[in-house]
Amino acid sequence: SKQWYQRRVAITAGEYKSYLSTMAGHEEKLFESIQCVEITSQVIMKITRHSQHELEKQLDPHVNGVLLGLINENKGVLEVTHCFPLMNNEIDEDIETNREYQLEMERSLRLVNIDYQQVGFYQSTYLNTHCDRNFLENVFVYLEEMKEAIAVIYDPLKTKLGNLNIRAFKLSLPAFRLYREEKDFTATMLKDNSLTFENLFKEIPVMVKNSALTNVLLCEIDRIQESTACLTLPTSSYLEKSMQMLLSGLDEVNQDLQKINLHQRNVYKQQQQLLQNVQKRKIENAQREKDGLNPLPEEDFSKQFKPPPPLGRLEPLLSSNRIAAHCEMIEEHVRNGIGKLYLADSFMS
Amino acid sequence: KQWYQRRVVISAGNVVDNFERREDSNKRVIGTLLGRYDKGTVIISESFAVPHQETDEEVSMDMEYANRIGELQKKVNTNLYTVGWYSSGIVINEHSSLIHAFYKCQCPTPVHLTVDTQFKEQKMKINTHISLPIGVKGGSEGCIFTPVQYTVQGSEAEQVSLKFFNGLKLNKKSPNFNDREQLLSNCTDMLSQLNLVLDHVKKVLSGSVVPDKELGRQLMEVVQSVPNLDTDTTTNMLNSHMQDLLAVEYLTYLTRQQLAINARINQVL
Repeated sequence: SKQWYQRRVAITAGEYKSYLSTMAGHEEKLFESIQCVEITSQVIMKITRHSQHELEKQLDPHVNGVLLGLINENKGVLEVTHCFPLMNNEIDEDIETNREYQLEMERSLRLVNIDYQQVGFYQSTYLNTHCDRNFLENVFVYLEEMKEAIAVIYDPLKTKLGNLNIRAFKLSLPAFRLYREEKDFTATMLKDNSLTFENLFKEIPVMVKNSALTNVLLCEIDRIQESTACLTLPTSSYLEKSMQMLLSGLDEVNQDLQKINLHQRNVYKQQQQLLQNVQKRKIENAQREKDGLNPLPEEDFSKQFKPPPPLGRLEPLLSSNRIAAHCEMIEEHVRNGIGKLYLADSFMS
Repeated sequence: KQWYQRRVVISAGNVVDNFERREDSNKRVIGTLLGRYDKGTVIISESFAVPHQETDEEVSMDMEYANRIGELQKKVNTNLYTVGWYSSGIVINEHSSLIHAFYKCQCPTPVHLTVDTQFKEQKMKINTHISLPIGVKGGSEGCIFTPVQYTVQGSEAEQVSLKFFNGLKLNKKSPNFNDREQLLSNCTDMLSQLNLVLDHVKKVLSGSVVPDKELGRQLMEVVQSVPNLDTDTTTNMLNSHMQDLLAVEYLTYLTRQQLAINARINQVL
C-alpha cells in the first residue's frame, strides 16, 4: 500500500505540474492578447479636464483615476470607453472614500448601461517621473485581478506645449511573474529572467476611436478656438526642467554604483576573514598535534561569517527606466525644436 | 438678465454617449449638469447620466440616484455644483417642465441643455435654455423655456486635444500620437491657412474682390507681429539656440550609452 500511495502522489504531482504549465501558458496568452488599446475621445477629454482642474488648485499634482471598458478578444483590442477620477491618497480617509466611491460608481454605472468593468487606471506624470515603486505596485495590483489591465499615462506639460501625449503601459510577463514572488529583485534573478530596464514595462500602442455620433459632435464643435501651442519655439523652461530631472536621475545611478562598490568590498572582506579563520584553525591544530593534544574540530565558520545580503536591484532598474525615458523625451523635443527654429528663421529673414 | 454660458465639450459628449447606450424603450435620455457660477456666467464642466423612464403619458426619474451620484461627484470634484440638466432631442414638453421643477430644488436657475441626436436640422444642434415663469398670477401660470447664448471654451490642453481629434472626423483613421506627426499636421494646417490668405490678397490686388478695411488692418497686424531685427542678430540668436539644442542631444546620446553599460552590471554581479 506504501507503493500504491507513492504512485498516487507521483501521479498527482505530475497532474499538478501539467496544470501549472497550462495555467502559465494561459496566463501568457492573456498577457499577450492585447495588441492595441482603443480610447474614445470622450475619455481623453475627461482625463485632460481632470488634470487641468487639479493643476488649477496646486502646482504639481498627480491625478489618477480608474478606466472602464471592455475587451474585444477577436481583434485583440482593449476598448476604454469611460473613466472616472479618484481623489489623491494623501489622507487616510481619502483611501476609504476612494474605495466606497469606486464601489458606488460601479453599481450606479450599471444602471445607465455604461461598461463597468475596470480595465486599468490612468495617471498624470510630471516630466516622466511617474515610474516609481508606487506605480509598479499599482500596475501589479491591477494585473493580478485582470491579466489584460493597462495603465495609461498622460503628460499634461507636453500637451500644453502642443503635443497630446497619451501612452499605455503594462508590466512585461517575466517582470510580473518575478514581482509576484519577490518584492525586490536581486541580480541573479534578473540574469535568470533576462530582465533589463528596457523590458521591465511594455508599451502598448494607443489609438483613438469614436462612434459615429461622437464624430458628428466633434464636427459641430469644430474650430472653436485654434491652438497654436504646437508651433512654440523650444525656448521655454521645458528643456531646462528635463535636464534637471536627468541630472537627478544620474545622481541616483551614481549613488547606486557606490553602493555596489561598497557591497563588493564587504563581500571580499568577509571572504578574506573566513579564509583567515580557517587558516588559523589549521595552524592551531598542527600545533596541538605537535603538543600531543586532541585537535579542535574544524568548525564551520561560514555560519559565523554570513555574507551580507545581495542588494535589491528594483530601485536602480526603475531609475534607469526613468533616465531612458527622459533621454527619449529630450531627444524628441530637440529634434522638433530644430525644425521649428528653421521655420522661425524663414519667417524672419 | 442675460446669462452667457461657457461649456466644455465633455457634457455634450456625455449626452451622445448616453444616448447611444440607452434602453430601447426610451426615446431620450437625461442627466445632471455640474459646474459653477462665475459673475453672471454659468460654467458647465461635467455631467452624468440619470436613469429615467418616459412614455407619452408619464415620466419618472430616479431622483435618489441623482442625489447620490451628485453628492459623490461633489466629493471628488470639489467646487462643482449642480447647475442644470441635459436631455437628448430638441423636444421640450410638459415632461421637461416636471424634470426642470426637480432641478429647481437643487439650484436657483437650472440650465437646460439639449443636444439634437436625431438631426432634425441636418446637424447636431446644441441649445441651452432657462425657464421663466409666464402667465397671470392667480390665473393660469406656466413657464417658458427661453434660449440663452452659449459659447464653447476650454483650457489650452483641451484645445490641443480637440485639434488632435480633427484628423479623426474626416477619414476615420486614428491619428498617431507621434510628436513629429502632430508637428507635421500643424505645419500643413498653417501652410493651408497662409495659402488662403495669400489667395485673398492676390484677388484683392487684381481687383476681383472688394477689399475689406477690417481684414486689411488685421493682416497688417499679422505682418508687423514678426519681429523686425537685422539679419545679424537673428542669425546669431538662432545659431546659439541651435548649438544649445545640439549639445543637449549629444549629452543624451552619451547618457544612453552609459545606461547601457550600467545595465551590464546586473549580469556581472
